[in-house]
Amino acid sequence: MEQLKRDYKIILSNYIHNQNESNLYTGQNFIKRLIQKNVSPEEVISIHKQALEEIIEDLPESTIHAYDFLIEVMVHFGLKLKEHQSLLMKQEELRIEMEVAARIQNTLLETTIPNPENLDIGMVSVPLRKMNGDYVHFMHDHKRYLSIAVTDVVGKGVPAALCMSMVKYGLDTLEYANSNPSYVLEALNQLIEKSVDDSMFVSMCYSRYDLETDIFTWSSAGHEPPLYYDSREKVYYDLESKELLLGILPEVKYSQHDIKLNENDFIILMTDGVTDFRKQENFDPRQYIKELALSCRHLNAQEMCENIYKKLQVLHNYELEDDFTIVIIKK
Amino acid sequence: MTEKVTVEIVTEVDIVTARKLGRKEAKIIGFNKVDQARITTAIGELAKNIFQYAPVGKIIIERIVKDDKKGVSITSIDHGPGILDVQKILEDGDSYGGGLSSVKRLVDTMHILSEVGKGTTIKVEKWLR
Amino acid sequence: MDVNIQFRKEGNLLIGFIEGEIDTFTAPTLREELEKIHLSTEISVELDLSKVSYIDSTGLGVFVAFYKRATKENANLKLVNLSSRLTRLFEITGLSELMDIEEGGISHASI
Repeated sequence: MEQLKRDYKIILSNYIHNQNESNLYTGQNFIKRLIQKNVSPEEVISIHKQALEEIIEDLPESTIHAYDFLIEVMVHFGLKLKEHQSLLMKQEELRIEMEVAARIQNTLLETTIPNPENLDIGMVSVPLRKMNGDYVHFMHDHKRYLSIAVTDVVGKGVPAALCMSMVKYGLDTLEYANSNPSYVLEALNQLIEKSVDDSMFVSMCYSRYDLETDIFTWSSAGHEPPLYYDSREKVYYDLESKELLLGILPEVKYSQHDIKLNENDFIILMTDGVTDFRKQENFDPRQYIKELALSCRHLNAQEMCENIYKKLQVLHNYELEDDFTIVIIKK
Repeated sequence: MTEKVTVEIVTEVDIVTARKLGRKEAKIIGFNKVDQARITTAIGELAKNIFQYAPVGKIIIERIVKDDKKGVSITSIDHGPGILDVQKILEDGDSYGGGLSSVKRLVDTMHILSEVGKGTTIKVEKWLR
Repeated sequence: MDVNIQFRKEGNLLIGFIEGEIDTFTAPTLREELEKIHLSTEISVELDLSKVSYIDSTGLGVFVAFYKRATKENANLKLVNLSSRLTRLFEITGLSELMDIEEGGISHASI
């Protein structure tokens, strides 16, 4: 400390005698040393005052009082600074904790995209923050059936992730690739309704694909409607259902619908993060996605997903506001 | 233990009185201007806590000596609501205990004795370096 | 962006005018305000959403929770003057089948 005081006095004295840029620069570098040594703001003022008293012999009484006053008020600045530093440390702890949690979630929710003959499947799922509130669950029994669940839990981050673990557990325990989608949603709804609070819910589109007959069977619980492109008629169909979200009422019945896929038909399953264009009111995001998918339908399903994701990122100025998940299945 | 000053904290004016007496003691003991300001700030925060959260309370300022070290101790005694979780109240960002975490930073040691419904005694010490 | 709600009482009808965007950040404020409402069999609550430009899923959760409470207390709840965008949100989530929802063209809310 004494050394610091002496150094400061020299730097200050130099500046008082010669007000050039180099002396100012030295001063700024010196303050970095003080910060490293954890010298508080009030101490800095005190060092300055002391140095000044030594450099200028007959410093007016009023100036000395003014410095004492400054020391007094800077005590609170010092306290705020320390509080801030300690909050930063806490933030770092939380960040590390979050990273561990995210790793656990990734392992827990890891999913492999099935690769059956005669059907092309692609997926992009990107969380907004560390933890993902979207989840895609594939199941393929390597025989006739393949199932895809696209899920979105209300909210984002940790609360959504906790709820998602339960959904995943539910899917794992009751699912066989050949289960009826409506049955899966009904069973999951009961499980979720029992376990979550009143403002929590889950949206899900559950589908089953019959690889022998090419029949796609789907059910939706309050989920963003999938898009079906019929390549023979060259038209899109919005797969709307208006059936209730999971976890709101205890007994809910769901219906299911069949679509026969022909060569070059494709289906886009997504979460609302894909269609959420909050800032552009007079814009039809679903229409945009339809056109986008059409323009790249010569690509394989994975490339189509990636292409759409990239285009939407640009459109959002790289500031997507929600977890983003898109799955494309292509005949 | 040589000198001891007690200030009853009832109105906001008493906070200033406690600060004034504290600064005087700190000066006599030989603390420099910066530490005088810190000790006074600590006293101010403690007194303010009494004023805001307890109907009555007092601040005791003492000169202390241990081995060949000199210092000051400040004790705050109130019959307020008490503190349920001391550790929580000392955390940064806690609005109620915001003052107390500051006090802890301004002094060398801090002891808190509190019973919910009965009151709180806080004793802090700062030593001359 | 903020959200705020103002109430007007007309006999047994309580009208709440909500204004703003209801997202992860503003939803807690709205939830608190709605929780303060005393619900009973005699009370009808109408929430006017004509000045709500956006609701995300967390915001939707606030209405779901309030709907559940209203149902439990046997109070009437109606959401009115929803923009077509909001109406669609309540439709695709199946909530429009459950809750009493009225789409409104132009705003006739006067605060």
